[in-house]
Amino acid sequence: MTRLTTGLIAIMLPLAAAAQVESYAIDPHHTVPYWETNYLNFATMRGRFDSATGMFTLDRAARTGTLEITIQTANLSTGAGRTLKRTRDEHLRTPDFFNVVEFPTMTYSAKSVKFKGDDPEVIEGSLTLLGVTNPVALKVERWRCGPDPRTAGKIYMCGGNATGSFKRSDFGMKFGLPTAIGDEVSLWISFFGFRQ
Amino acid sequence: MEEIFGHPAVQGGVAPFVVGLIVVLLLQSLRLGGLAVVAAFATAVYFVAGFTFTPLTATRKIILLGLFSPVIGILADFAFKPTRIGAAVFALAGAAAALWVFWPVVSQKDAAEAWLLGGTAAVTVAFMVGFGQMFLAEHAVRAGSAGLGVGLGVGIASILSATATYGLYGIAVCAGAGGFLLVQMIRGKTIAAGATFTLPAMLIAGLVGAGAMVLAKLPWYALLVIALVPVGARLPVPEKAPLWLQAVLLSLYSLSIAAVACALAWPT
Repeated sequence: MTRLTTGLIAIMLPLAAAAQVESYAIDPHHTVPYWETNYLNFATMRGRFDSATGMFTLDRAARTGTLEITIQTANLSTGAGRTLKRTRDEHLRTPDFFNVVEFPTMTYSAKSVKFKGDDPEVIEGSLTLLGVTNPVALKVERWRCGPDPRTAGKIYMCGGNATGSFKRSDFGMKFGLPTAIGDEVSLWISFFGFRQ
Repeated sequence: MEEIFGHPAVQGGVAPFVVGLIVVLLLQSLRLGGLAVVAAFATAVYFVAGFTFTPLTATRKIILLGLFSPVIGILADFAFKPTRIGAAVFALAGAAAALWVFWPVVSQKDAAEAWLLGGTAAVTVAFMVGFGQMFLAEHAVRAGSAGLGVGLGVGIASILSATATYGLYGIAVCAGAGGFLLVQMIRGKTIAAGATFTLPAMLIAGLVGAGAMVLAKLPWYALLVIALVPVGARLPVPEKAPLWLQAVLLSLYSLSIAAVACALAWPT
């Protein structure tokens, strides 16, 4: 009997642990990565990628989690419009910057999330851009979980903002350095996901 | 100083021209003045992107091929006599180089677009490299004028197609060819061009133009017109005219065709 109990516990423990890990599918319509950088030392140039897809997990008991975000690089927008014959967005899509034909996606992947109290505080992951992967930490702000008010609470969701920065030259994006376009790129990602 | 060398006009034009000029002056007596083009190109690469080759993108493949091409050119000049078969081999190698650079990218597109872009890139580079070896390598003034025309044509057409990096690489080829041509014009004597000059000039310009088509917005038909720029440098000029005048006329012929390519690349 004792052996049977021990065996059952051995089987059930990992299952119980797995049950504590919550998976969330990122809402591509409301997850928008923004970026900004210095332009000619006069202005701050801002842009965004129109959508992102991915998953994140939360293990509240172990106070950790994971994050996987994929961004379609061709979906960038700086609001340049068609005021110029060639828009700034077209330029950003070429090998000068995001090289979207060869690298149609960039990804952010994190296997470690540090918590402060019950909320995630720092996501320690790596950004893969232009085929180069480097560590980039994202600080989580304004984190909140709860029922989706649009579904009368049928769907549970979590979301917040994540900020970080990186040097684009670390990824081989060197056009306009050192004087015309800043090396330091700030990221600001608003995101939320639905519990699966 | 950082601001000076950070300026695109210096990175793609002034610095490559000065380096190209120095290379011509130093190496012309060794029949290696044609290295001006690759020296100018390498200077632009140093300032614009640096010599990093991982991951091996299409642009980095172009840089690798450009830097390696003079080795083949020098071998061809010093070990072989120029022949039609040699030019055909160069053309085939040019097509293979274009496919090596661009096929991994274009093969991800639908079949019709892949064949259009891949075929245009291969035909353009093959024609330019083969024509350069066949009809220009033994005529230094014509070769220099052709390099000037394709470099400037590819450079401006690339900028009009939204890629300034490729624009600067094209203009660097023009700057190197300009230095090569200028020394001949001032001295009134030709210096050896050979495959040392024409192979890098045509290969780099062809691949950069093809890159602007595949990775940016250059229309495929504009690239085909760029391929015809070296033909302008084969048009007749008064044989007894001073060398500087021949250079001016041949450059005008080449640049006229390049202007048509740029007009076709003009965004609408």
